[in-house]
Amino acid sequence: MHSKKVRIITVFAAFTCLLWIFGLGWTVKDYLIGAAHSAYSPPAADESAAQTNELKIIALGDSLTRGTGDIEGKGYVGYVTDQLKKEGLDVSLINLGIKGLTSERLAEQIKEKEIKRQIGQGDIILMTIGGNDLFLGGQTLTNITDDSISKLEEAYLSHLKAILADIRAVNTEATIYLLGLYDPFNEFPEGALTSKTVRGWNSKTMELLAEDSKAVFVPTYDLFQLNVNDYLFTDHFHPNEVGYRLMADRVAALITSGGGPR
Amino acid sequence: MSSITLSVQGLRKVIGKRTIIKDLSFELKRGEVFGFLGPNGAGKTTTIRMLVGLIKPTSGTIHICGLDIAKEFTKAMSHLGCIVENPELYPFLSGMENLRHFAVMLKGTTQARIDEVVRLVGMQERVNDKVSTYSLGMRQRLGIAQALLGKPDVLILDEPTNGLDPSGIREMRAFIRFLAEEEGLTVLVSSHLLHEIQLMCDRVAIITKGEIIRVDSVTNLLSSEERLQWRLRPFALGKSVLGSLTELLNEQEETVTTIYSEQLSGDWNRKLVEAGVSVLEMNRKLPALEDLFLELTGGESID
Amino acid sequence: MINLVQNEMTKLLGKRRFIIISVIILVLLSMFTYAQARQAETIKERLGTVDWRTELQQKIVDWQNRLSSAGQWREQLQIQIEQSQYYLDHDINPSEPGAPTFIRGFVENSAELFLPLLIMIIAVDLVSSERSMGTIKLLLTRPVSRFHILLSKYIALILSVSLVIFIFGLLSYIISAFMFGNQGWAAPVLTGFKVEGGELNISEVRLVSQWQYIIQQFGLAWFISLVVGTLSFMLSILMRSSAAGMGTMLACLIAGAILSNMVSSWTSAKYLFMVNLGLMNYVSGTAPPIEGMTLGFSLAVLAAWMLGSLVVSFAVFMRKDIY
Repeated sequence: MHSKKVRIITVFAAFTCLLWIFGLGWTVKDYLIGAAHSAYSPPAADESAAQTNELKIIALGDSLTRGTGDIEGKGYVGYVTDQLKKEGLDVSLINLGIKGLTSERLAEQIKEKEIKRQIGQGDIILMTIGGNDLFLGGQTLTNITDDSISKLEEAYLSHLKAILADIRAVNTEATIYLLGLYDPFNEFPEGALTSKTVRGWNSKTMELLAEDSKAVFVPTYDLFQLNVNDYLFTDHFHPNEVGYRLMADRVAALITSGGGPR
Repeated sequence: MSSITLSVQGLRKVIGKRTIIKDLSFELKRGEVFGFLGPNGAGKTTTIRMLVGLIKPTSGTIHICGLDIAKEFTKAMSHLGCIVENPELYPFLSGMENLRHFAVMLKGTTQARIDEVVRLVGMQERVNDKVSTYSLGMRQRLGIAQALLGKPDVLILDEPTNGLDPSGIREMRAFIRFLAEEEGLTVLVSSHLLHEIQLMCDRVAIITKGEIIRVDSVTNLLSSEERLQWRLRPFALGKSVLGSLTELLNEQEETVTTIYSEQLSGDWNRKLVEAGVSVLEMNRKLPALEDLFLELTGGESID
Repeated sequence: MINLVQNEMTKLLGKRRFIIISVIILVLLSMFTYAQARQAETIKERLGTVDWRTELQQKIVDWQNRLSSAGQWREQLQIQIEQSQYYLDHDINPSEPGAPTFIRGFVENSAELFLPLLIMIIAVDLVSSERSMGTIKLLLTRPVSRFHILLSKYIALILSVSLVIFIFGLLSYIISAFMFGNQGWAAPVLTGFKVEGGELNISEVRLVSQWQYIIQQFGLAWFISLVVGTLSFMLSILMRSSAAGMGTMLACLIAGAILSNMVSSWTSAKYLFMVNLGLMNYVSGTAPPIEGMTLGFSLAVLAAWMLGSLVVSFAVFMRKDIY
C-alpha cells in the first residue's frame, strides 16, 4: 500500500535505530558497568623530528617571556623573533612562558616529557626567571632583610641549577640566554635597597651561568636604570613596549653576532 | 441486522457546569437521509463529534449497527464514514496518498476499492496531484471518497455543502440521495440551512440549545409555512389595498409580507394593479429557519 | 502497526522534514569545517610546525596563562590542562587530524542543543499539526484505537530521531573526509577521566579506538535527542500550536545550557532534565554542572523524564475531547 521509498526509508531508519541503541548500550556497559582496563603501550615517539635549517627558539619562564605589559602582546621574545626574521633568518618560536612562574615551578615544568622533547630540538633557549621569586608580587619590597633575601636567593639558585642541568641533559648544543632582573622600584623611597638586592641577585645568577660555556647572562638592569618609568607598563612592574624592545635589541644582537646560527 | 443503523439514547455532555447537550435520543434507519438542523452553536457539531468518537459523552449511549462505540470503538467505527466540518486532508500529499493513508487504517481495503471510490466521486484525473492544488469542491469529493473507503453503513456529513458553489451543491445533494437510495447507506447530514435539508433529507431533527425540539419528516415540517413578499409603489396605497384582501404579516420599508396562497395570490396582484399600484416585486419565500424556530419554540429567541 | 508507522513516515517525508533538516546540517557543517580548517592554518602559521605535541603544549601554556584571570572557569580550565597534559604524557594525540576527529568534536558540541533542536522540528508538531490541519478528526474516527495511533506516531518519532542522527553522521563524514581526509579511525582516544571534587581522577583512564568512541558518542547523542523529542512530543499533545510547543521546549533547552553553568550550589537542580543533557561531558571527562552527578545518574534522570512524559502523553491523548 505504501510507496517503495517510504518502506525502504522506514526499514533503514529502524536499522539505524538499532545501531544507536547498540552505541548507547556499549557506552553504558563501558562507563557504568566498567570495562576491562586495556593497558596501553604508547607508540614509540618519533624523536626524529625533521631536521630543517630553521632556527628553533624555545622561550621559557615567567610573564616577561609571555609578554605581559606589551600592547602587542609579543614581549621581548616576539621582538627578538621579528628582528631575526628581518635579518633573513628562518625562525620558529615556541613560547612556553607562563605568568607568575617561579623558578621552582619552572624546574617542575621542565621535567615534563613534552617540554623536554621540545627543548631537545631547540637551537636557542631564551629564559626569564627569578622575578617572581624575588618580588613575590611586591610583598618582599615592604620588609627586606638580608636574612629573608638570602633565603630566597638560595632556593632560587638551587632551582636554577637544576633547570640548567635538565636543559643540558636533553640539549648540549643550544645556547641559553638568561635575561637578568631589572629593578622596577628604583625610584621608590626604598629604591636604593631594592636595587642593591637586584644587583646581588643578578651577580649570583651570572656566577652560576658561568659554569656553562654556552649559557649567556643578558643584563637588563642597566637598561632600566635610568628613567625606569618610561619603560614600565602601568602596573609599574612589567616592561612596556619600549622596555621590551630594549631587551630584544640586546638579545637579538647577541644571537646574530655571537651564539647565532650554526 | 436490524434496519436501525444508528441509535442514540439519552446523550448528554456537560462541560464544567454547563450542559451542552441535553438528553438527545434518536434512531436512524438504513437507506434514509437524516437532517440535523439547527442554528450555529445549537450543539450539532458537538453531537456529531460524540457520534464519531471525538468527544466522550458525559452519559448516554451511541450504537452504530448495534455496537456501542464506548465499548467496541474500533468495531463500531468500521461501520462508519464521516466528514466532520471541513474535509481536512493532508495538503502536502497527493489525493491518492491521502486515500492510501486512510485505507491502511481500515482492514481489508484494497487498491481496487480505492480506485472504485475515486471513480465514484469522479476524481480519476486529479487524484495524483497534491491536495494543496485542489479546489474546495474537489477536496469535498475526496473527503467523501475517504469516508466511503471502508464501505460504511452509516455516513455522517457535517455541513457537506458548506463553501461549495451552486453547481457543487446540486451535485452533492444528488450524490447523497444516490448513496442512500442506491447503496442503502444511512446518511446523517447537518446543516443550518433549512432549504438544504428540505431538498435532501427524508427526516429532520431540529436542535437548538442542545435539545431536539422536533423530529419529523420534512413534508410535515414545512407545510403552510411559505410567505410572499411584496414591493409596492406607492407604498401606502398598496398597503391599504393589500391589507383589505389579506392579513399583513410583516412590514418593512417598501415591502410587506403576506402568506403565500396558490389560489389567491394572483388575484391579489390583479386587484393591486387595478387600484393603480405598481407591483415592483413579488417574492415567494421559504420560511426562514428563524421563523420556524420562533414558531416551534414559542417565541424563544435563538442565539 | 507497521502500516501505521509507515503512514507517519509518509507524512514526514511529504512535509519534507528530513530534507529541511539535512539542509540545516549542511549549512552548519560547512561553516564548522571552514572554521576548523582556518584554525589549523593559523596554528601552523604561528608555530611554524604541524607537530601536534608542540601545538598541544602551546595550548596548555596558553591555558595556564589564562588560569589567573579565569574566575569561575578556573576549575574547568585546570581540569582541561591536566587532561591535555595526560594526553601529552602518554603521547596520544587528542585530535588526530582527519574526518573522525572532526566528527567526534562536532557531535560533542551538537548533542546538547543543535541535534535536539533538529529533532524538535519533527517532534513538536507530530500531533499538534494534525490538530491545526484538522486531520486529527479523520485520524481518530478510523477503526483504530487512539493508543495505536499515538504509539505509531511515537515509533515514527524514534525512527526519525535515528534517521536524523544518521544523516547528521553521514553528512559530517562526507564533508569532513573531503576537507580533512579519511584517516584516523583507529587512532586512540583516552577516556574514563572522572572529575571528583574539582580534581581530575585518572585512575580509570583507558584507551579506546576512535571509531568505538564515536559510536558510543552517537549512542548518547541519540538518547539525548530522543529524550528531548519525547518531551516535545508531549508538548505537541498538550499544546494546540506547534509554535508554543517549540517555544517552550527551546526555553527549556536554553535554560538548561545557562543553568548548567551556574547551578553548582543549587543541588536539587540536578533532577531537572535540562541540566542532565550534557551526557557527553561524562565521557570526555569535564566537570559535571553539579557535584556528584554521574553518567548513570543523568541517564536515570533523563529516562525518568522520558517515561513520565510518555505516560502523560498517552493518558491525555486517549482521554482528550477533540473540538
